[in-house]
Amino acid sequence: MTAYPIDPKLDLILERNIDVPVELVWKAWTEPKHLMQWFTPAPWKTVDCEIDLRPGGIFRTVMRSPEGQDMNNIGCCLEVVHHRKLVFTDALLPGFRPRDDGFFTGVVLMEPAKGGSKYIACAIHKDEAGRKTHEEMGFHSGWGTALDQLVAYAKTM
Amino acid sequence: MTNQQDRLNDTFHALADPTRRAVLAKLTSGPATVSDLAQPFSMALPTFLQHLKVLEECGLVRSKKVGRVRTCQLKPKPLEEAQDWLGAQRTLWTKRLDQLDDYLRHLNATENRK
Repeated sequence: MTAYPIDPKLDLILERNIDVPVELVWKAWTEPKHLMQWFTPAPWKTVDCEIDLRPGGIFRTVMRSPEGQDMNNIGCCLEVVHHRKLVFTDALLPGFRPRDDGFFTGVVLMEPAKGGSKYIACAIHKDEAGRKTHEEMGFHSGWGTALDQLVAYAKTM
Repeated sequence: MTNQQDRLNDTFHALADPTRRAVLAKLTSGPATVSDLAQPFSMALPTFLQHLKVLEECGLVRSKKVGRVRTCQLKPKPLEEAQDWLGAQRTLWTKRLDQLDDYLRHLNATENRK
């Protein structure tokens, strides 16, 4: 269903079926007053949200920790297909201006399904290891395997 | 959060080098002396010690000097943290979508009552 390559070591795909119309799923993802109601896992809260629903338009959330510390997450929308698809990232600021420390792109796909809707949320993360190794070593694969072996070993210690 | 991310960056950086990975792999079979560890590599000792320093600084390796012999040991905690990171992301997204589904059902019920 997605046209993007997924790296199982870095990315997540979650698929859900729900007995509500797809229009409602779309609304919950794209209107700040609705998104604020669910976007941040409790006990954190979303206390502010801005969405300008067009490519390059702002996608911003402010999350508040239980201790009252606010985290401002600012990014932009990349792709908007009414009632079907929303892609947003924190790697680009509104107007597509590159940002240094972004690490995430979200892809949300939805469609009507029998008895309601199906939606898929993909979290695509920056390849921190790959980025560093490309920069410093020109090295591509191998750390994943090394990591797996070492972790397997670690569990026996 | 930032501390943890710095540690992750250090771990990934340490793993991003074939010499350092080889040292870690060797240490999985038990503690070893610096000279034993350096032996398979055709590099100057100071260069090799730099690699060990990177591994020690990120906490993957601890070393202890007894007399004139320095022995290194693997400390796997940073590796578990790297592995745990994706697990934590999954937990976050699962909770987030659980909340979304609850909210959608609530919204649906409210709209149907209108």
